Amino acid sequence: MAGSSMGDDSGENPVAINVTPLVDVIFCLCVFFMISFKFKQLEGKFDTWLPKGKGSEGMPLSAVIQEVRVALFWDETNNKSIRKVGTRIVPDDGELQQLIEAAHDGFVRLDKPDVPLTIDGDLRVPWEDVISVMNISKRAGMKQIEFAYNVPTAR
Amino acid sequence: MSRRRKPPAIKEDVSCNLIPMVDIMFLLLLFFMLGADMTQREQAELVLATASEIKENDTVKSDEPTTTVNIQHGEATCPVNKAGGFCRGQDHWELVIRGRTVPKETFKDQLKAEADETLEPDVDPLAGVRLSARKVIIRADRAAPYGDINKVIETCSLVGIYKIEVGAAVPAPTN
Repeated sequence: MAGSSMGDDSGENPVAINVTPLVDVIFCLCVFFMISFKFKQLEGKFDTWLPKGKGSEGMPLSAVIQEVRVALFWDETNNKSIRKVGTRIVPDDGELQQLIEAAHDGFVRLDKPDVPLTIDGDLRVPWEDVISVMNISKRAGMKQIEFAYNVPTAR
Repeated sequence: MSRRRKPPAIKEDVSCNLIPMVDIMFLLLLFFMLGADMTQREQAELVLATASEIKENDTVKSDEPTTTVNIQHGEATCPVNKAGGFCRGQDHWELVIRGRTVPKETFKDQLKAEADETLEPDVDPLAGVRLSARKVIIRADRAAPYGDINKVIETCSLVGIYKIEVGAAVPAPTN
């Protein structure tokens, strides 16, 4: 361990401090903090706002639904998700982005830029596939993302 | 008879100077102490899904009341999860709030209690009630089933929480 003091110059320095215990304690603290130290992964978030009034009641059935809908199905045999836009299966990210962009541009031309993208997912679909669709739709310029879910019976 | 005289012993001072070492160690200690996260663990150890379009977390913490709901795999012996697959075991995924696992049956009650702690001052004209000012951050493991996240969102809606954030990780930079 560490040496005894600051040298043998007690004549010059009559109150020599023994630094050994100090160094020992600092070593212990250093080891403790080094072991517990962890580099954190950078995280972020997607802001989501639930509808205030109609959230639990759902939309009236008579309302004309205007949305870009991406459906996610779970293929149990191959253990992977299947993405569909309309009836078309879209496995490629670039292709999905193009389809969403085209749909979004169509609504912008109709002066409806706030038309949402609705993610209608099978409950077994892995969350990373849902996040992937959210990411692609943000990249494609969609401002609003909605999640489809069954309407609960009571509040 | 000539007597050989011994050469005088040279007095060597071999004591090491500890001051620079103590200085460096203090600096190291300071670095690790400042870098250590000693706060209550809101965030569970999860493998988050990555997304490039996310808004990075604010460095300045806001005073907004927040509840972080972590969705993590809680079955250590599950072979599917161990192999890195997508486990779909009914009870294998658990909801964790502030380091504590919340049973799915009582999750709504707990969230309701937290939502009612901080209500907005005014009645919302659309909802007809005072909604909660609380924000919920959903941090789910990348392999978590979408149904569990959907359930959390639905529960938030039922207890009057409308501010939701979905956590994701920033992708590692590629060279």
